Amino acid sequence: MSVAAFFAPLAVETRKLNRSLAALLAIAAPTLIAVFVFFNMLRTKAPSAWDMWMSGGSAIWAYFMLPMSVTALTALVAHMEHGPKSWDYLRALPLPRWRLYAAKGVCVLAVVALMSAMVLVMVWGAVTLAAMIKPQLQPTGAFDLAGYVQIMGLMLLAGLLMIAIQLWTALRFASFVPGLVLGIGGTFFAVVATSAKQGVFLPWQMPVNMLASEPWRVGTALGLGGGLGVVALILMIVHLSRREVV
Amino acid sequence: MPAAIETETLTRRFKRHLAVDSVSLTVPDQAVYGFLGRNGAGKTTTLKMLLGLIRPSSGKARICGIDVSVDRLAAARKVGALLEAHGFYGNLSGAENLDLTRNLMGLRRSEIERVLEVVEMSDHARRRVSDYSLGMRQRLGLARAMLGAPPVLILDEPTNGLDPDGIADMRRFLGELPARTGATVLLSSHLLGEIEQTATHIGIVHQGRLVLEGELARLKADLAPEIAVETDDPVRAEALAKARGFAVTRGAERIVAGLRPGEDARAAAAALNRALVKADITVFAIGQQARTLEGIYRGVSGPPATQPLMQPELV
Repeated sequence: MSVAAFFAPLAVETRKLNRSLAALLAIAAPTLIAVFVFFNMLRTKAPSAWDMWMSGGSAIWAYFMLPMSVTALTALVAHMEHGPKSWDYLRALPLPRWRLYAAKGVCVLAVVALMSAMVLVMVWGAVTLAAMIKPQLQPTGAFDLAGYVQIMGLMLLAGLLMIAIQLWTALRFASFVPGLVLGIGGTFFAVVATSAKQGVFLPWQMPVNMLASEPWRVGTALGLGGGLGVVALILMIVHLSRREVV
Repeated sequence: MPAAIETETLTRRFKRHLAVDSVSLTVPDQAVYGFLGRNGAGKTTTLKMLLGLIRPSSGKARICGIDVSVDRLAAARKVGALLEAHGFYGNLSGAENLDLTRNLMGLRRSEIERVLEVVEMSDHARRRVSDYSLGMRQRLGLARAMLGAPPVLILDEPTNGLDPDGIADMRRFLGELPARTGATVLLSSHLLGEIEQTATHIGIVHQGRLVLEGELARLKADLAPEIAVETDDPVRAEALAKARGFAVTRGAERIVAGLRPGEDARAAAAALNRALVKADITVFAIGQQARTLEGIYRGVSGPPATQPLMQPELV
């Protein structure tokens, strides 16, 4: 089998996003954070450090927007197949089914990674634009790009378990409802349990723990979110490719 | 040469419900096989087992001699399918939709143009599928099924939801398919008229069981027309008709005399009428009634259920 044939399902998944609601969401979510940061900066009186704005954007992303975006994104990506009932066609094709589901997983991870990168770029853009409008607010301190990218990368890694759970649910059930209930419920409990020690074990709270000051929180969330996330993704692929869609 | 499609006591049970019960069907190479039955009779479940989408509880399904349960990928390479749901992505154009499947199957780009031409959709290929009519989606579905020129096409209710023009169009396509593509077609439907006009072979499934299978022309020839006679004395009329060599069934006020294959129905009806009148038996009405596919179906599956098998008037 050629490399192109092996990666064909991934290429197909990417092309399905063309003009889709999932693609719109991928742009909208980071944009909303940038818009918030932009107006928030304009209403300040004194300049702040780059770190404050960039960390602020990352915190909003990890705390609320990432879990909600993953909930919506996985629902939309899964609904691309559930809606027109294309699973039967895909599963009847002469290619191993696990590749279809693996491609879905990789595609969603890639979109979330892209959204994470867009958060950084758009927040930088929003801060720069606000500083052009109000030069007295020009951010102070260094712009630590490597540090911001690292934090976003860790958030993505810690969010693997949440992404796997949401995608698994969305692909398993044809209805939007189970995935949305799980995602909204998970985000809600992650928010209300922010200060609780047990919160770190909640998959929807794991990404925001990358900003925690206690090292045990960072290590626990990263280990559980990343490690169990990979396991959950593999289990999802095995389960869905063996399952009958009656 | 193995049959294009063959099942051997194929059975599928869903908990307590026996959806497909020991179905053994044979679809000869290059046939258009009409797979008939009411909704819920087990047609779609059978097709899904042929496509490897669901596993049989027992029995075997073979495509071009390949056991689907043993080597699904090899069997899948021999089949193209059009299922009840279109499965298209509305945000993409017709050509883009076909290109996704082409890409997954590792086929050349020229395949898209080829299949679009077969279904006469080349002019609409750049439009988004969300703007397509139902008939256009069905044609695009056929085009997708033909990607890679598979030797077997499985089409589940291809005229569902089409208007009369669309049905006529689709029927023409289906009738021409074997000649144009060399493919064997398994066509599932609950529309007798559709099957009667396109199929070379039929299989009738009823309550999960295959109750009749054969070449349609032969079945029709074996089942020549009948003469229905309304009379005041069906007992004597029956005896007289039997004496003249007819196979007769008697009702309360009528008899039905079956003709022998090749017998001239008009002449036979006139002769029977003369004989009845001569024997002083009153004839209220006499006429020929054709044995239709519906007649064949009724003969093997009993009276209509709440979900009737439809025989629509088509253009």
